[in-house]
Amino acid sequence: MSLAFEICRIAERAAGPERVGQIVEVGVRVGDNAGIEPENLAFCLEVLLRQPPFVNAVPRLLRQPGDVLRVDYLEVNDGRPHD
Amino acid sequence: MAVRTIEVREKVMAKNDELAGEVRRRLGADRVAALNLVSAPGSGKTLLLERTLERLGGELRMAVVTGDVQTQNDADRLARHTTNLVQAVVTHGACHLDARQVLTALEAIDLPHTDLLFIENVGNLICPASWDLGETAKVAIFSVTEGEDKPLKYPKMFQQSRYAVLNKIDLLPYLPFDRDLAVRHARTVNPDLRFFFTSALTGEGLETWCDFLRECARLRAAP
Repeated sequence: MSLAFEICRIAERAAGPERVGQIVEVGVRVGDNAGIEPENLAFCLEVLLRQPPFVNAVPRLLRQPGDVLRVDYLEVNDGRPHD
Repeated sequence: MAVRTIEVREKVMAKNDELAGEVRRRLGADRVAALNLVSAPGSGKTLLLERTLERLGGELRMAVVTGDVQTQNDADRLARHTTNLVQAVVTHGACHLDARQVLTALEAIDLPHTDLLFIENVGNLICPASWDLGETAKVAIFSVTEGEDKPLKYPKMFQQSRYAVLNKIDLLPYLPFDRDLAVRHARTVNPDLRFFFTSALTGEGLETWCDFLRECARLRAAP
């Protein structure tokens, strides 16, 4: 859970206060040797990303070899039309 | 409506690791060895620290940072055994200490006049394994009431630790606990783990533990 909180903190800061409610997906890269049970992390993130300041974001865990644990990207629906 | 992608590419532990580096720098500048004591709740780490402070308080200058989810009970217990500083961190629900909390606690500790710093982490064998506090070494404590397979169930904690203490060995005659099997399990996940066997209650094994701490203080590092 502590890692899920940290991921949410990073997402919140990266999006900024105006856009945090517009996050629809948080991409997290998780290494096979990161010492993390991905299903547990995904569950914690699903709970946290549905609570304020988030609205209805979902986590997407991207598995890879190694011990990486990184917030990779955010997808934000900012309500503006396509460029 | 457009969904836009924001590249982040930030290590989850980046900020904590940066602050842990600062803790390490400050401890290194004053040559203070810091041991991060990690365990499940109820392994006896507070009593082990109480006995340690009693035994070594006259010869080593020791400071303690305690982490508790709620209450300052552990800090209050430890403060009865030392005139040196016991700095309590109440995490208010968080299941681990982080480097920012330790860095803040260091502000209140007279590091140039400290030989040894103990960080008594929150009782939890999962989350504290992921958080570098800037310590010299982690010491994993578990007790004979917990089962021999604890190291296999929580491998990351035992991989991250340089030392292990098997505590409450006074109960061995009354429990179906195989001490050698526990050590084998621990060394399966970390072959370099150095073991201590203690009973904080009866004092058994404490002299070896205290000799190790004297060596840490002498070297200003973990041997």
